Amino acid sequence: MGVGFLEQDLRRRSFLKWSSAVAGSGALVGAALSFTGIPGVGSQKVAAAGDGMADADRTVWSACVVNCGSRCPIRLQIKDGTVARVLPDNTGDDTLFNRQIRACVRGRNMRQRIYSPDRIKAPLKRREGTERGDGQWDEISWDEAFDLFAEKLKYTIDTYGNEAIFKVYGSGVWNAHLGTSGGWGRLFNLLGGYLGYYSNYSYSQIGTITRFHYGNPDEQISNSFEDSIKHGRMLVLWGNNPQETRMSGGGLVFTSLEAAKTDGLKIVVVDPRHSDSVSLLADEWIAPRPGTDAALVAGLVHHLVSNNLHDQEFLDKYCIGFDEEHMPPGVPANASYRSYIEGKGPDGIEKTPEWASRITGVPTQVIKNFAFELAATKPVNIAQGWGPQRHANGENQARAIYLLSNVLGQVGIPGGGTGGREGYHWPLTQWFPDGENKVPVTISNFGWTDAIDRGPELTATKDGIRGADRLNVGIKFMLEYGGNMLASQHAENLKTREILRDQSKCEFICVVDNQFTGSAELADLVLPDTTTAERWDLAPSEYTGDMAYLIMCEKAIEPLYDSRPAYEMVTEISKRFGVQQEFTEGRDLEGWARYLHEEFNRKAVPGMPSFDEMKSVGVYRYVNPEGTTVALKSFRDDPAANPLATPSGKIEIFSAELYEMSQKWEFPGGDKGDRVTPLPEYVATWEGAEEAREPNAKYPIQLIGHHYKARTHSTYGNLTNLQEAHPQMVWLNHLDAADRGIADGDTVELFNDRGRVQIKAKVTPRIMPGVASLPQGAWMKVDAAGVDHGGSVNVLSRLHPAPVSKGNCQHTNLVQIKKV
Amino acid sequence: MNVAELPMILFTVIAQMCVGAFLVLGVVQTAGSLRFSAKAIDQVADPALLAIGPAMIFGLAVSMFHMHDVTHTFNVIRHVGSSWLSREILFGTGFAALGFLFAVVQLLKWGHPRLRQGLAVLTALVGLGLVYSMSMVYYSLVTVPAWHSWFVPLQFFATAIILGSLAIGTALVVTTLVHARQVARGLSAPDADSGRKVSLRERFTTHADPAVRDEVEALLAVSVRGIVITAFVAAAVLLVAIPLYLGGLTAVGGVALQSVEVYAGGLFVARLGLLALGAGLLAVFTYFIAAKPRENLGRLVVVLTTSFVLVFVAEVLGRALFYESMFRVGV
Amino acid sequence: MYGFYFDQTLCNGCKACQIACKDKHDNPIGVNWRRVVEYTGGSWQVDGETARPNVFSYYTSMACNHCEDPICVTVCPTTAMTKREDGTVYVDQSKCVGCRYCEWACPYSAPQFNAQTGHMSKCDLCYDYRQTGQDPACVDACPARALDWGPIEELRAKYGDQNAFEPLPDPSITRPNLVIKPHRDAQPFGHGTGFIANRQEI
Ligand SMILES: Nc1nc2c(c(=O)[nH]1)N[C@H]1C(S)=C(S)[C@@H](COP(=O)(O)OP(=O)(O)OC[C@H]3O[C@@H](n4cnc5c(=O)[nH]c(N)nc54)[C@H](O)[C@@H]3O)O[C@H]1N2
Ligand SMILES: Nc1nc2c(c(=O)[nH]1)N[C@H]1C(S)=C(S)[C@@H](COP(=O)(O)OP(=O)(O)OC[C@H]3O[C@@H](n4cnc5c(=O)[nH]c(N)nc54)[C@H](O)[C@@H]3O)O[C@H]1N2
Ligand code: SF4
Ligand code: SF4
Ligand code: SF4
Ligand code: SF4
Ligand code: SF4
Ligand SMILES: [Mo]
Repeated sequence: MGVGFLEQDLRRRSFLKWSSAVAGSGALVGAALSFTGIPGVGSQKVAAAGDGMADADRTVWSACVVNCGSRCPIRLQIKDGTVARVLPDNTGDDTLFNRQIRACVRGRNMRQRIYSPDRIKAPLKRREGTERGDGQWDEISWDEAFDLFAEKLKYTIDTYGNEAIFKVYGSGVWNAHLGTSGGWGRLFNLLGGYLGYYSNYSYSQIGTITRFHYGNPDEQISNSFEDSIKHGRMLVLWGNNPQETRMSGGGLVFTSLEAAKTDGLKIVVVDPRHSDSVSLLADEWIAPRPGTDAALVAGLVHHLVSNNLHDQEFLDKYCIGFDEEHMPPGVPANASYRSYIEGKGPDGIEKTPEWASRITGVPTQVIKNFAFELAATKPVNIAQGWGPQRHANGENQARAIYLLSNVLGQVGIPGGGTGGREGYHWPLTQWFPDGENKVPVTISNFGWTDAIDRGPELTATKDGIRGADRLNVGIKFMLEYGGNMLASQHAENLKTREILRDQSKCEFICVVDNQFTGSAELADLVLPDTTTAERWDLAPSEYTGDMAYLIMCEKAIEPLYDSRPAYEMVTEISKRFGVQQEFTEGRDLEGWARYLHEEFNRKAVPGMPSFDEMKSVGVYRYVNPEGTTVALKSFRDDPAANPLATPSGKIEIFSAELYEMSQKWEFPGGDKGDRVTPLPEYVATWEGAEEAREPNAKYPIQLIGHHYKARTHSTYGNLTNLQEAHPQMVWLNHLDAADRGIADGDTVELFNDRGRVQIKAKVTPRIMPGVASLPQGAWMKVDAAGVDHGGSVNVLSRLHPAPVSKGNCQHTNLVQIKKV
Repeated sequence: MNVAELPMILFTVIAQMCVGAFLVLGVVQTAGSLRFSAKAIDQVADPALLAIGPAMIFGLAVSMFHMHDVTHTFNVIRHVGSSWLSREILFGTGFAALGFLFAVVQLLKWGHPRLRQGLAVLTALVGLGLVYSMSMVYYSLVTVPAWHSWFVPLQFFATAIILGSLAIGTALVVTTLVHARQVARGLSAPDADSGRKVSLRERFTTHADPAVRDEVEALLAVSVRGIVITAFVAAAVLLVAIPLYLGGLTAVGGVALQSVEVYAGGLFVARLGLLALGAGLLAVFTYFIAAKPRENLGRLVVVLTTSFVLVFVAEVLGRALFYESMFRVGV
Repeated sequence: MYGFYFDQTLCNGCKACQIACKDKHDNPIGVNWRRVVEYTGGSWQVDGETARPNVFSYYTSMACNHCEDPICVTVCPTTAMTKREDGTVYVDQSKCVGCRYCEWACPYSAPQFNAQTGHMSKCDLCYDYRQTGQDPACVDACPARALDWGPIEELRAKYGDQNAFEPLPDPSITRPNLVIKPHRDAQPFGHGTGFIANRQEI
């Protein structure tokens, strides 16, 4: 059945009718009914009145609002003013488009997070006369705290200008309507703006490079898993691990399992690690060395082309740059991808499966078989995660995977895909309006330590400064709100710490969090925020596929200790600048939640219940009115009418813009692999797979740091229940372990020139020989000798950006490992 | 060594030793009564009897550490119909109580000797029941292959016999030595036949009557020799059984192999060595020098005490390994 | 007789079930009435520059199986470990002496000693929830829908009656009220080539 039928048919109907129509085929009952105000209607297991504990005073809807890409409703049971129990969603059911949004292991531990001993209890000021990170604090009053913040802010603007103000990345309250912003950006904008950043830690490389390939200024999504379930024959999860990185029962844990259950849909996972997605979903597992995906793709395409299994028609019509006949003007001969794989390009090497196998470690026969399978099992949705691109030259990794789906002609058709991340429906996040930022300059998400360290040296072509040729001034005032970048999530933690400890560089650092993190330790001022349970908000779904939803977050309990919601902090600070009215527009937090919901959400999504109804409805689901997501369908259907935003309007396998950049951009460090290539070719990089295997390599193990079940980054990482359930350990292949006399459970030391980490080893065949993984996000515990015993992979990662995006390459690290 | 299990290690070893000692003492008394006078027997045996009580109480007290809520202690006998642990506790308290009672009546010579003998037999039977139920506590765990084995009752009874006999042997010679010293210091005991009331303290000293002394010496020679032969044989059985047991475990496979691995280390070697030394070499030596107890009394005390201590340590190590070898099937 | 159904083909080892149980019962660290076992095996064939995996791994989420022949009940000296009329097995806190004998006996590690109370504790199949018509907390928690519960006859009618898979013990020991849908790589009991890969977590 073609998707056209479904789509056209659906478009003619109103949302409500459409929902019930689909419900006839077993899908949308709950979504249609959930706004009747009766939670649980449509659920197979109707919730009893005395749900949960019998003697709770009340049960309110709240959410886990962290940056895990999902977002889950939870019901908090309140007794005597405290959260006594955390209950799961009780609406929806087990059907594909009305699934219950069951919180994952972390969200279910919310109570421990709310009442964690690490909660910041009062505003804290670094003790006079001590250095940052010395750990000496004075509790101060809120008024003193606001005065201090305002004074430093004013001083910075007066002395250095607004460009010296920076709000560093922080995703701990990611995407909630109000919590995400906290109001800080709005305040800074009211005062003349601040230095911004482009891109993000999640997908810096792919998010930057996609513009050149597909014209999309963000990443280019692929078709949804739901679409593969309905129309696909093969799903390739390429460096993509929904079972561990999309853990909500309302999101991809659920849909990817539905995909695995679907007869006739083969699933292949490409990952150096036997992830839980491999163990549960994969019919086949292909394990390349980290950072070699572009080589694997080249080998696959070589085999496809030499057997004439590529989609020449698609390449001719929709792409440029694949072969010499379809090149943009003004570029040298033999610059096409086909020339590249046939060895006619500048390097003169033919990219045979044999060649690819030596680099990737994947046996030649496996590459050949995979190529045949891809060609024979169409439509195929190649859905890449963000693991492959979080590498040195991750841009090419990401683009290469896009390219494979181009060569197979899978873009824009049901069951196919673009090679990007699986599609989703995400029409609304009515963020708190931050207003207009009048400072035009931005740095990359990863560029802030450089901007602190050597601000005015940073330029556009060397460091990716945008909006200006160079920075005027370094960062002097830095706010970390809802992030743990300073001590945990950035890179080369020990060096970052040294940069931050130098008070002549960044002169003021304020950290706003609800847990006393390693980043808080490095601040001058620490402000205690509440958790979501202690304030009003609304939380939308994120990467949850074709079913989207909105969750009511009611204020469940009073703020603990002397904490306050950020919005109230900013309100008080805005007073000190005389912009309170402009800042609040007369609303309190609940007022803003109500306003954004009534004015925006209800208009964006037909059928959305009112704010007051939402308090009892809790979570409102709605599905993609287009049917299942088929990315770039309109382009495929009519490329002339719906061209891509690339210069050619087509998919640019060879990008003339990148070609130009490859001439212009400077890489004074001369690190291997730091180059811009117009083709998505394989580039051997610093600390890459090839360097690891050089004879007598000092650091022969490739260390990645997968996103781990125990935590969302560092959030939840301090909670004993989760440490118990999912202890921090480094995954190490049994062959490498045997070489080093390491047994399962032994404490080992991972080290390179940047740091040392001692942690227990999980000795397992579930990771490739020569590769180790230290799950990212663990809280550091550095001893006097500078050795980390918490297991923070960023003690070992490098403060060096990827060539085009200037983004984080945290999965590219070489280390040696020894038994302690 | 498994420190967490130390209470259980001490409890089981000491309790088994007490039962064994009681049995051996019973045999000494019963068999001795055929040839020797009651005076001689009492002189040799009564002090030893007194040692069993405290040892047993100590063992029981130590085992209490294993209960984490002593306020519920009385519940532990609720499940005698099914739980070997209930039965063990019942037999344990029964043995301690009866043993204590017997000690009192025997020392004070209350009641008719028949009655006392009957009480002794009963105590002995309960003691046997104790060792058996103790072994069944472990044997009945079908989920622990290392314990669900014929070897467990065998080992427990062997421990009882070896340690019990050596304990009594040591007690006999030590008592005799103490007496000999007292005699040497001129503290001759009063004549029991003079009708004067004999104090309890005086019972521990002994007859200066040469006839009784000769009798005591003969009794000592026979008992000590019998005791070391018993210990020797029991230890030999144990040493033969151990490899058979380990072989059997290896054949079972699975987690049983992990249990077998426990028996690979130095502790195991030490345990075997100490047992062989204590109940083997030294026993043989004892056997020979026990022919002339009076001449060799000093040496006997040294050798038997050493032998007892070595074997006690061996059994404690053995028991530690036994707990260490606890690997359960499943998850 | 109530029991659990567990679908190995869906379980990703996330332990939402374990945490949900912990939250519901306020269980401290070290006390996990539901635990998840990772069973892993296989190896790599390294050939010069290339390496080819032949590896499997699957998870099994385990609570108490409220067994037909509960060895925990048999061995308990105090009768604290008791079978309710509905067939579920629970610890009567007013009787338990904390001797931990049941812990030695149960091949599923279901009895979990609580040092704070000095007593044994374990899954009671969420007795209070069941009394009020609710599902056990773990069942409703599972994001993957890998858990179900109910009268064992119904579960067996619906899902079959398999439960003899590594690394679980021989079901003939306690006759667990448990039905398992095996992972494609599940190894039949007694024929395991893998190992429990997360010992310290259970
Ligand atoms: N080595 C390595 N490093 C990485 C990655 C990697 O793959 N490898 N991944 C990167 C990626 S993709 C990302 S997105 C980043 C994430 O990095 P961060 O955005 O720093 O994420 P977290 O570590 O979760 O920090 C979130 C902080 O927000 C706090 N928080 C939670 N709720 C609230 C609230 O209500 N108010 C306030 N004020 N604070 C709150 C939490 O306590 C926590 O300290 O990490 C990056 N770092
Ligand atoms: N539990 C949990 N879930 C999370 C998060 C978390 O911290 N914890 N973080 C969330 C956030 S903000 C983000 S951005 C996403 C991140 O999502 P991803 O970036 O997709 O997650 P990663 O774990 O970094 O990588 C995914 C997989 O790629 C593999 N991989 C690493 N390098 C390579 C490579 O070179 N080639 C190939 N083929 N595979 C490779 C890893 O082994 C891993 O299994 O996850 C989100 N979800
Ligand atoms: S961490 Fe993500 S998946 Fe887990 S409960 Fe929170 S929002 Fe849901
Ligand atoms: S699983 Fe263990 S604790 Fe539960 S009934 Fe069976 S034997 Fe007893
Ligand atoms: S710990 Fe409690 S429940 Fe377990 S066997 Fe002992 S008394 Fe029975
Ligand atoms: S049924 Fe209840 S008590 Fe048992 S494991 Fe599940 S949540 Fe815990
Ligand atoms: S919650 Fe479900 S998927 Fe997660 S470990 Fe438990 S049973 Fe497995
Ligand atoms: Mo991210």
